Amino acid sequence: MADMVSVDEVAEAMFKLIKDAAGQKQYKAMDLQKAMIELFPDRVDKKLCKESIKKLINSGRCIYTYFGGSYIELPHVEGAANPDE
Amino acid sequence: MADKTKATGMLAELKDGPYPSFVKEIEAAAEKNEMAQDLIGLLELSYNEKLCHWKHGGIVGVMGYGGGVIGRYVDVPEEFPNVSHFHTLRVNQPAAWFYKTEALRKICDIWEERGSAIMNIHGSTGDIILLGTTTAQLEPVFSELTKLGFDLGGSGSVLRTPSCCVGPARCEWAMFDTLKFAYEHTMKYQDELHRPYFPYKFKFKFSGCPNDCVASIARADMSFIGTWRDDILVNQDKVLWYANEKKLDIQEIVVDRCPTKCMEWDGKELHIDNRNCSRCMHCINVLHLALKPGKDRGCTILIGSKAPILEGAQLSSVLVPFMRMEPPYAEDEATAEDLPELIDNIWELWGEEGKNRERVGEFIQRIGMGNFLDAIGLEPAAEMVSHPRTNPYVFYELGEEDEEEEDE
Amino acid sequence: MTAEPAERLTDIGPPHFEKFLPPVVKANYGKWDSHEILAPGIYVHTAESGDKLYTIRAATARLISVQKVRQFCDIADKYCDGHLRWTSRNNVEFLTTKKENVEPIKKEIEALGHPVGGTGNSITNIVHTQGWVHCHSAATDASGIVKAVMDELMDEFTNMRLPGKLRIALACCLNMCGAVHCSDIAILGIHRRAPEIDHERLRKMCEIPNVVASCPTAAIRPTSVDGNPSVEVIEEQCMFCANCFTVCPSMPLNDPEIDGVSLWVGGKVSNARHEPMFSKLAVPFIPNNPPRWPEVVEAVKNLVTVWADGARPYERMGEWIERIGWPRFFEVAGIEFQKEHIDDFKHAVTTFNTSTHLRF
Repeated sequence: MADMVSVDEVAEAMFKLIKDAAGQKQYKAMDLQKAMIELFPDRVDKKLCKESIKKLINSGRCIYTYFGGSYIELPHVEGAANPDE
Repeated sequence: MADKTKATGMLAELKDGPYPSFVKEIEAAAEKNEMAQDLIGLLELSYNEKLCHWKHGGIVGVMGYGGGVIGRYVDVPEEFPNVSHFHTLRVNQPAAWFYKTEALRKICDIWEERGSAIMNIHGSTGDIILLGTTTAQLEPVFSELTKLGFDLGGSGSVLRTPSCCVGPARCEWAMFDTLKFAYEHTMKYQDELHRPYFPYKFKFKFSGCPNDCVASIARADMSFIGTWRDDILVNQDKVLWYANEKKLDIQEIVVDRCPTKCMEWDGKELHIDNRNCSRCMHCINVLHLALKPGKDRGCTILIGSKAPILEGAQLSSVLVPFMRMEPPYAEDEATAEDLPELIDNIWELWGEEGKNRERVGEFIQRIGMGNFLDAIGLEPAAEMVSHPRTNPYVFYELGEEDEEEEDE
Repeated sequence: MTAEPAERLTDIGPPHFEKFLPPVVKANYGKWDSHEILAPGIYVHTAESGDKLYTIRAATARLISVQKVRQFCDIADKYCDGHLRWTSRNNVEFLTTKKENVEPIKKEIEALGHPVGGTGNSITNIVHTQGWVHCHSAATDASGIVKAVMDELMDEFTNMRLPGKLRIALACCLNMCGAVHCSDIAILGIHRRAPEIDHERLRKMCEIPNVVASCPTAAIRPTSVDGNPSVEVIEEQCMFCANCFTVCPSMPLNDPEIDGVSLWVGGKVSNARHEPMFSKLAVPFIPNNPPRWPEVVEAVKNLVTVWADGARPYERMGEWIERIGWPRFFEVAGIEFQKEHIDDFKHAVTTFNTSTHLRF
């Protein structure tokens, strides 16, 4: 079995995917997992993907959003938001 | 200037009457709270215009979690600046909604200081709902709640906060420990509850008996409903007492209402054909001092219920006819020890192959129950259907050997 | 925000329920023997040990102030050693081992404006959603209708004289949060037209690919309006779920004259006697008429009355209707059967009468 990719590397690849698609496509956690398995065949698994997402979210580089379904996106101001009081 | 702590106009008409008034509740909160004051004004506007004034906020939350906060913004922020942001927190309730006043008072203190001083006890899924605060207060509220030993519940495409009936804490019909299973499943799946990894929401609800006091069969993706397999325990003297002392018409009220007609009453004794009893609970509900469920207890697991969006409402259907929920476990029966693997298998399959916003019940409908059972490793059982198929469109999957035979 | 990362607790879950159980519950956990309803809203549970636990149940508005919660806590501290709980239908329950505490608790809770009842063959509290108080897709208010309906039906909360249990639920849009789809009587807010698009605001506020993707029936298409990118809605495909409005506030489907309320009957969750059943459409549309929705109150009261008059003991609404047949139900309820009552969604054909079983 090939060496596993590092959490940092997976998080970076996920971030690039999200950044490049911002405003065009919203990724769910499972979409990211599937994309990573395609990108790094046999070198990532579900656990690693989950850790990478956690890292992305906890670092503040990405956020969870909810619009009918839950997505992972770049932090941004949403259309509905009112300015800070 | 008008007194913003008091409802006038239309809302004031909802202060009278024998049922508790939510308007009085908002007024009580508004005495010292500007958010609650603006909520009165905003609601009066909605009542006058017959229009809703909220916008959905899909981004706010606490650090690291993808659930537990429902974002709301008002669409008239200039008029009602104190509810410009009015986000809600879902707080995971203790199992079966038992509280000590000490803990409740502390939650009240946090919410009076940092929110609207208005809550729902409880929301539809079972959480304590802290109704409305600003974005800046979310993290401090969360921090104070966790110090108090409370955590947020679920929202979005996560495991939603599990809930359960009062169960063995105060009910003689609890066929398994609903509180224990609700609590343990909440704790075991904290990651799934806070960090969205599913195609859509997933709910566990634990009801101790077929009366189903938490509406598990209608509202849970995985419904756990207590049942028993052996004979109903009958105290014939007490049955007679109902007939003679309570003047209860056993024939009409009990026997005639039995859905499987498995009972007979000869005026002295109640005879039950237990093999034909469908464990509906009616006779036990009515003659509760005379009849009790048997001792061979466990639960039925059903799968797939949901409200209408998107493909129409569904009730849960039988997945495991009987699972024993506490030791001693026999070797040849489904037991609670099989539960983690069953849940993992379902989540793995639906997680990978479910479409965005597809509940597991809709997923099963799309791929077929037979294929679903194959994929999660369960054997089909006649208890799973109300009747077998009536159409001949069976998608046989013929193995190589079968096909060779066909060729010959 | 200045929360120290090191101190930040996450994933702790709820407190263990044992911390909050009254001692008599802990001592008799799983060993309850029987229960009796002493009076509407008052239970005694007896354990195998002989211990007794008295419960006093009272209605609360689901929306509650911290001030009221503290008043409940005062009662629980005074009589129940600081223990109280809520039911799955927003009733508060005070628990005590002392029979002599029952009447004082009842008095104090009633003095706070909370009627005691909701047990046995009665109408217990209505479960409901947020409505105009907090939901963005609400086609009607929730708390207001519930208040008006319960004010009218309060005698059936504080008595136990109905044929069976009657469960009412309200949801403020067809997402049907709460067990509205399986209630004896369900009050459901409905939108009746597709979202109206504010193209100017949409351009500034919303991401078009996300709006298109949000529609569960693929009724939203990208288009161009006055040379600017926007979206259009194929109205025949819209089912008024408001998911596009969730993503994009420039697509409101609220309308004061078109939105309103529908009534549904005959659902149940419990397995007792008949299997669980869905609620079915009774009254397709009643306009919103705040603050007290008199037409809705009247229609609900009528449904309760015709059921109470016609049902045999323990028959729920749906069981009664099944026995007498739907044509007779519409007749006795005085509701006109219309095109809207006939299902035309998936599996509609399974709801047609495929027999000559007709009662004339």
